[in-house]
Amino acid sequence: MDTLFSRHRALALLAAAILSQVLLLAFQIKREHDVRLIRVWSAAAVTPFERGATSALSRIDGAWSGYVWLRGTRAENARLRDEVDALRLRNQELEGESAEAQRAGLLLNFRDAHTETPMVAALVIGASADTSSRTLTLNRGDRDHIRRNMAVITPDGIVGKIVEVFASTSQVLLIDDKDSGAGALLADTRTHGVVKGGDTDTRLDYVVNDEQVHAGERILTSGEDRIFPKDLLIGTVVNAKPGVPFQVIRVRPAARLDRLEEVLILLTQQELKNPSESADSTAGQSTTPGILQTPLPAAVTPAAAGPQAKTVPSAPPAPRP
Amino acid sequence: MSYTLSTGAQSESNIEVHKYYGGTVIAVAFLAIVLQAFLHKYGRWSELVDLPLLVTIYFGVSRRNPVTGLFLGAAIGIMQDALSHDNPIGLYGIAKTLVGYLASTVGARIDTQHPASRFILVFVFFHFHQAVFALTERVLLNHPAPFFTWSLLRDSLVNATLAVVLFAALDRLRRQS
Repeated sequence: MDTLFSRHRALALLAAAILSQVLLLAFQIKREHDVRLIRVWSAAAVTPFERGATSALSRIDGAWSGYVWLRGTRAENARLRDEVDALRLRNQELEGESAEAQRAGLLLNFRDAHTETPMVAALVIGASADTSSRTLTLNRGDRDHIRRNMAVITPDGIVGKIVEVFASTSQVLLIDDKDSGAGALLADTRTHGVVKGGDTDTRLDYVVNDEQVHAGERILTSGEDRIFPKDLLIGTVVNAKPGVPFQVIRVRPAARLDRLEEVLILLTQQELKNPSESADSTAGQSTTPGILQTPLPAAVTPAAAGPQAKTVPSAPPAPRP
Repeated sequence: MSYTLSTGAQSESNIEVHKYYGGTVIAVAFLAIVLQAFLHKYGRWSELVDLPLLVTIYFGVSRRNPVTGLFLGAAIGIMQDALSHDNPIGLYGIAKTLVGYLASTVGARIDTQHPASRFILVFVFFHFHQAVFALTERVLLNHPAPFFTWSLLRDSLVNATLAVVLFAALDRLRRQS
């Protein structure tokens, strides 16, 4: 070593002199952000090693914990699978509850908009086993003051009428059943007719060929059947063709009759008023359709319906059109 | 007066190592730095001349000891940096350290008594010094210093010419063996 140094003594001293002066310069020179060059160099020299060491340690740790030290992993995996399954179930429950709460909110809004009209919220708990008849079973019955021929509606439109009442349940005949019918009128021309169900579709009957009926026109209840209050939305015209002796008008019901879950049973046949016009109606002015311009229905308990609920049976039974 | 111009093929033992009276080297180097600073205030023409560089080269090739040469160059360069206004210390130091080392190495292989060889040596070392200086500035200071310009060529010719005269004058300070 001494021999090597003495052989290249001058060169080594030159390198030392140059290096010391470079370091001296690095101490004096400042780069961006007022950082001395010696610090920049030091960081540049050390950082790669630090980064490499960190990366290597991370890989070793990952390999150890991921491939070697797997004690308890199987049990943890099983536990996590169970937890995922439970969370999936819980998620589905919450989604269902969320949808239910949304629908309940709609019913609540409607109730607030029609506080003057007694109504009962009911859940659809079953349907007819007979494919040829279109009926639903509700969780409200005689105990809830439900009577035959009470109107059943949703925020979207009318659903049908109560045809059977049991102690705690009742049966609804949907408006698209072939035995069903509702007094109706065309919203634009106020032309009267009867909405009847059929094997394949729902129709508006008894409209003469001279009447101009166009697709998309709204059809409202006329109130003549003494079941549905006047001016509730039934549906819209799909198409109209001349027929003998009356036009053949196909109707699309406004309520989604194939996916009902909650409905409202009107305990009275009185007309639903638009809340914004309640003040006007009390002043003797005519009212415009309730459900048409009222956004959404809300649930009412029988208790909330109060004594009015008990007055419903006094309404005369309406004959099937 | 006879001049000797030897090549590297000759052994170093054939080349005479010149000695100077005590303190001569330090005194001359100090005087060169002082003169450089002193003349600077009399006009920009003094910027043409780099007396510390000439002294470094002279004593490098005369003493023919690389260790002495590099330390002398380092000392002169650092002092020159210290006297400059805005140079960080070490810029001239690095350049003159290398010049001192190389001049000593070259001086140990080539007898540089001939005015022509002195002219060429100073011309080459001037540009080498400028190249190292510019490289250091570029790398460390991020300053775009030029490696070569026509004014640098002129300066190198002036310094080489002056060196022929100055070196002859400095030869008189040698101790007779």
